[in-house]
Amino acid sequence: MSQTFDQVFDARGLNCPMPLVNARKEIGKLEPGQILKVMATDRGSVADFQGWAKIAKNVELVAQENESIDGATVYVHFIKRTV
Amino acid sequence: MAERLIPSVVTSAELLNRLERSQDVFVIDVRSRDEFERLHIEGRSPLPAFNVPYFEMLELGGKDDMIDSVEAYAERELKEKLPTDKQILTVCAKGDTSSYVAQALTRLGYSCANLEGGMKAWGEYYATHTIVEEPDLSIYQISRPARGCLSYVVASSGSAIVIDPLRHVHHYTELAREKNLKIETVIDTHGHADHISGGVELAARSRASYYLHPYDAIHPIDVLPATIDYEYIANDRVFRSGSRELRTIHIPGHTLGVIALALDDRFLFTGDSIFIRSIARPDLGGKAETWAPLHARSLRKLLALNGRIKVLPGHFSSLAEADSSGRFVASLDELKRTNDGLVVLQRDTEEGFVRYLVESLPRFVPEYVDIKRVNAGLLSADEESAAALETGKNVCALSQAYAARAGATP
Repeated sequence: MSQTFDQVFDARGLNCPMPLVNARKEIGKLEPGQILKVMATDRGSVADFQGWAKIAKNVELVAQENESIDGATVYVHFIKRTV
Repeated sequence: MAERLIPSVVTSAELLNRLERSQDVFVIDVRSRDEFERLHIEGRSPLPAFNVPYFEMLELGGKDDMIDSVEAYAERELKEKLPTDKQILTVCAKGDTSSYVAQALTRLGYSCANLEGGMKAWGEYYATHTIVEEPDLSIYQISRPARGCLSYVVASSGSAIVIDPLRHVHHYTELAREKNLKIETVIDTHGHADHISGGVELAARSRASYYLHPYDAIHPIDVLPATIDYEYIANDRVFRSGSRELRTIHIPGHTLGVIALALDDRFLFTGDSIFIRSIARPDLGGKAETWAPLHARSLRKLLALNGRIKVLPGHFSSLAEADSSGRFVASLDELKRTNDGLVVLQRDTEEGFVRYLVESLPRFVPEYVDIKRVNAGLLSADEESAAALETGKNVCALSQAYAARAGATP
């Protein structure tokens, strides 16, 4: 079953720390309970989103997966705004 | 919004230079705690450093902008911890994120420099030190300082032998071009566990022959034969470079096929047997107790050589092992007095020495099994997986020597 989401933020091509910095801004625009799908090409984003979700009070990391798009690995993070 | 200040930048070469000279470097590393644990910048003595993941500074700083957040976080949390009398080196994975941190700290008035390219660049940085440059003999020690790996180019009359080349082989071809050398022979002193060998690729690119002892062409855990192209090193093989000869000494112990190479009574390339402070571990084939007595006998064989011979090892574990010019080299006589493993070997019975070996084993690194597979051609690795396998500093030496010294550090 694929993960549902409400908004997509495409961070492909952005270097660290921008996928996380911008995703953090984007999730502020969502309603509590809604899910943001973040697509990134920076491999380091996988561990960084995990670490960030642990300390951010209003965010839950719902799922992470890898997709292959046009031969490139895309790291996908689903984050939920909790409050 | 405050003005954007451009912090200064430190390259890996400049960083090594500072670390070799023991110049004070204060590090703030903004990678995750796991990444920091696996590999961080180390000097001759422990560096003042701390690790705060950038995403913590961003979140706890509480602003939308990265630099604003770091500034707010640093003002609140780091004031007591950051030095005002020395330069702070900011470090991250690739050098981009730490540049924001450096900008924020510069704005707060700290003296800051960003490590260009981050830990990726530092991990892949190679340094070349000249051991000797005479009319008919040159020896260069090529190191990967972050990983503690050492390799060598030995040249005479324009002909070069490369010993234990590391993965990024262009460093050797460039050195050969610069010094006008033809690489004719490439030798791995043993099947490496901690890093991916550049041997096969360098030999192919240079149209040189690649040599390995046949015992190390069998993966010790899989018990499968290597699929790479190599020529056998016979136990009494002599390798020629111009007018010079390297004599093979088979010294099973760290692996079954490990060799040392002696250049007259002057230089001894010890591969993974004798290092500067410690000796190689005997357990990476999974048979520590069976191999330890072999290791003891092999080391005794090396101790019987002329004491003035200069040992050039395959690894180091700390920059503190380098001489004042950053080279890892010492005479066998000196090592008989100062190397922990050799001191025990000379003092103890074989049984006692074997016990010392088994009790000093560091942790087993699971990646080492796969790295040996890659080196034997039993597993292929693209750049990304090769880099992922080669994380952290090598753990090829017994740990006791370092544990004891670390414990003694105030």
